[in-house]
Amino acid sequence: MLSLGDMLKDGTKHFAGKDEAILRNIEACKQLSEITKTSLGPNGMNKMIINHLEKLFVTNDAATIIKELDVIHPAAKMMVMAAQLQEREMGDGTNTVVSLAGELLHKSATLLEMGLHPSEIVAGYERAGEKAQQLLESLVIYRLGDIRNIEEVKKCLKASLASKQYGYENLLSDLIAKACVQVCPKNPSNFNVDNIRVTKVPGGGVGDTTVIKGFVVIGDTDGTLKRVEKAKVAVFASGIDVGKTETSGKVLITNEQEFLSFSKGEEDSIKKTIEDIAQSGVKVIISGSTVSEMALHYIERHGIMLIRMQSKFQLRRVCKTVGATPLVKLGAPIPEELGYCDEIAVEEIGSSKCIIFRQNKEESEISTLVVRGSTNNILDDIERAIDDGVNVYKGMCKDGRFLGGAGAFELEMSRQLQQFADSTPGLAQYAIRAYAEAFEVIPRALSETSGHNATRTIASIYAAHTKGSTDAGLDIETGLPRSALEMSILDLFVSKQYALKLATNTACTVLRVDQIIMSKPAGGPKPPQQGPLDQDD
Amino acid sequence: MLSMIKQAGTPADAKRGQSLLLNISAAKGLQSVLKSNLGPKGTIKMLVSGGGDIKITKDGSVLLHEMQIQHPTAALIARTATAQDDITGDGTTSNIITIGELLKQSERYLAENVHPRVLSEGINLAKDRVLEFLEKFKQTKNTLDRELLVSIARSSLRTKVPVPIADQLTEHVVDALLLIRKDDEPLDLFMVETMTMQHRTDGESTLVKGLVLDHGARHPDMPKKLTNCFILTCNVSLEFEKTEVNSNFLYKDHEQRSRMIDGEHKLIAQRCRQIIELKNHVCDTPDKSFVVINQKGIDPICLDMFAKAGILALRRAKRRNMERLTLACGGTAMNSLEDLTPDLLGHAELVYEHTIGEDKYTFVEGVKNPFSCTILIKGPNKHTIEQIKDALRDGLRAVKNTIEDGVVIPGGGAFQVAAHRDLLEFKDTVQGRTKLGVQAFADAILVVPKTLAENSGFDPMDTLIKLQDEHAKGHIVGLDITSGEPMNPIQEGVYDQYSVLKQIYRSAPVIAAQLLLVDEIIKAGKGMRGSSVPDGAQE
Repeated sequence: MLSLGDMLKDGTKHFAGKDEAILRNIEACKQLSEITKTSLGPNGMNKMIINHLEKLFVTNDAATIIKELDVIHPAAKMMVMAAQLQEREMGDGTNTVVSLAGELLHKSATLLEMGLHPSEIVAGYERAGEKAQQLLESLVIYRLGDIRNIEEVKKCLKASLASKQYGYENLLSDLIAKACVQVCPKNPSNFNVDNIRVTKVPGGGVGDTTVIKGFVVIGDTDGTLKRVEKAKVAVFASGIDVGKTETSGKVLITNEQEFLSFSKGEEDSIKKTIEDIAQSGVKVIISGSTVSEMALHYIERHGIMLIRMQSKFQLRRVCKTVGATPLVKLGAPIPEELGYCDEIAVEEIGSSKCIIFRQNKEESEISTLVVRGSTNNILDDIERAIDDGVNVYKGMCKDGRFLGGAGAFELEMSRQLQQFADSTPGLAQYAIRAYAEAFEVIPRALSETSGHNATRTIASIYAAHTKGSTDAGLDIETGLPRSALEMSILDLFVSKQYALKLATNTACTVLRVDQIIMSKPAGGPKPPQQGPLDQDD
Repeated sequence: MLSMIKQAGTPADAKRGQSLLLNISAAKGLQSVLKSNLGPKGTIKMLVSGGGDIKITKDGSVLLHEMQIQHPTAALIARTATAQDDITGDGTTSNIITIGELLKQSERYLAENVHPRVLSEGINLAKDRVLEFLEKFKQTKNTLDRELLVSIARSSLRTKVPVPIADQLTEHVVDALLLIRKDDEPLDLFMVETMTMQHRTDGESTLVKGLVLDHGARHPDMPKKLTNCFILTCNVSLEFEKTEVNSNFLYKDHEQRSRMIDGEHKLIAQRCRQIIELKNHVCDTPDKSFVVINQKGIDPICLDMFAKAGILALRRAKRRNMERLTLACGGTAMNSLEDLTPDLLGHAELVYEHTIGEDKYTFVEGVKNPFSCTILIKGPNKHTIEQIKDALRDGLRAVKNTIEDGVVIPGGGAFQVAAHRDLLEFKDTVQGRTKLGVQAFADAILVVPKTLAENSGFDPMDTLIKLQDEHAKGHIVGLDITSGEPMNPIQEGVYDQYSVLKQIYRSAPVIAAQLLLVDEIIKAGKGMRGSSVPDGAQE
């Protein structure tokens, strides 16, 4: 009989069966999860990655590690995709997905060696996954009462931040809580992470990081005016210049007089436009494009501050901060189109100049964290931590339930699933038990990275759980069990729920594959990423 | 074996019979690859393209397309499968394994020096008989109720995607088709749009009774959610268009120039105002709103005008969507804005925008008489979405086939078991050596229930005999893949499609018989030396 390999194009690789396809896939996924596992938790180790552009990353953020690793193996790639999805949907918990999926597959390898068929393992895992989703509801130990109470929010953010920036979690959770509460809309579920901005200014220390109600842009104003208060703001998306026709035009000048009058005409028209704008009480003009010298001159003369902003996204955010409508046509704005800002000032932070838009009212549309740090790497890492923190806040806006952190939830889940396995008849129980045991990977990693004996700590936490304190987690300082609620280490419910789903899903998909057919890698550079269809917004 | 293949590549010295063995071997090889995919419990295959993209599939036709088969015999068989897919949209795997099995059974007789011609004649005779039997076996349904269609779709979808997803898609598929079904008109599957969204998990696909457009409003101030909307579909340029000829403005002073600037935009602004006027005319109460969907562009100034008037405007809609929009919402698509009247507008209860990451989607829901709908596939990653999308297409085709045929065939291998028995009876009436071909066909047809049993983890022979015993008692029996016991497919709601089976048993024997009659493979043209396998697939 002809084997498949003989029928395909040269260079095509074909793997089939348990040893070649399934076990190899499992191995690859395990390798990947080994990498991220050691970065789990507050004492997780950092990784140094140099990506294909020779950019250096020092981080323990799993999402970043995975993104920068150029994974080629198809099965491992599926795990990467799951992690990326978690990052996109929840913004946090990527490491949980990868570690758990890796462990699930690792456990399944043992089952395969025992002689179980992959489909039986998949069936067992799926059942266990369903059961886990049911159990999850009952394991909630804390419910956030008031989404606007900074103290409460702080408490809930701490666990997520501690795993990224251990030591700074109190400082950062305070700042993030403040920033988030400030911009929290009336209906909290409409909270948008884009409304929390991060501006990185190298220099100083992380302790100098501050929150500003409003918006911060690195840059300077164009004129001489550097500070205004209680100002009306006009935003022009177009440039401030004399208009141009779409059809190309020519000026026909036959004598000196005409030349002069043409220049004069242009000048007058700008003068008039700026005068009109000034008449409407505008103190600040923000332009999204170029501003002609002539316009600048008149703007200065009217004592108006001029800010140029090249990025249209920044322009849009500024509009949001001050509540202005961007104008597409140059001319005097109507009052509704104007924005208002309590203070706009150019301040020097470190050695870079920043334009700060400050709003004094209670709630602001946008708040900005000005992050300080000695090196760019630290800044990037803090930014990622803030990003995760803000996403946790977003998550709690939608669902304020929390599970016990510090491994408490994982071990309780594992314990209950093992009981479920004991009560399940048939071959499925082996897979369910393996699924349950896989949860241990997280407390194990936590205790290993903190330098404790993992087996002993897990046993002692189990003991605590059996005695009834089901929220006992690992105190990484002492290595002893302690209530997660007491330590206020809380994990967001939705994020965990999603992570479980994804990890189970990925493990099952990898297990279901029994053949891999790989085409010969296409030569040449990769095709460029396709951008959105039209660029002009 | 390998040396034999090598010899087949060289022209003249290939001994008679060897090319036949080569063909059989290729067919068997292909069969063994696809075999494990058959049925709801089949395994999946992972394909990695040259660019490193991952594809995961159980669908025979997708697999054959992606595999890039080069071997000529295998390619020939793969092409039959493609035809099967084009015509019926399902049954590719069954087709391939039937061809493989036919050749495998023939091989036994060939080894005993039966001439291939005799076998091929027998196979052809058997083919006619099977098709006749199919007519007898089919169950005509005058009323195709929803339940039956659901069963059909379920039977088809479960072989493509995991059960929970399949069950969910089943409902969507049937509902979608019932929605767009018009009496006395053939079903147009293009009226069911599939839209994909990389979002959440695979269990969250939905049926939208309306449209989903994969772009959003282009202005930040436009409303994101509107209810009770009038919809204007148009194909009118709302941006300045340059003249075809090379043109130039000449101006003397600044005033002239600014007049030109104003003039340039006047025409477009005029069109915008027409639309806004219409909006103000129809939206007489505050609870009504207005949506403009334009196939051409809308420039920022017009967008601004619309945004101020509270109109949601979408630009550069796809042509296909424009057609479907008028079908879904009513109204007429406009090519010019003259004689704009309210009765040209469509209507939808709800229009809203949804943003996922960078991508925007606009949902048009709650339309009056939806002759067009959208199945929105959600999935966590590209390969899941692709898998669901392929399955969905097959599911739609399955229901369409059934609606058009008006008949169903009990599934789960029921037809094959019954046909086998019928063929054996037929064999006794056939005179001479052609009997053997009939016998080969009869044995080959059983490959489907056998493989079903094997993939579900049961012993194929044991299971088959159980089925045959039960059938001998006069029941219609199919295989219950969870217990391995015989079951009544009609009770369980497992159905095959008539047109699929018809196509399989019409094309598979023909190809098998043809391959049997090939006695030499001669490779012509370039590349005669060197390669071990003839590159006949090059066209």
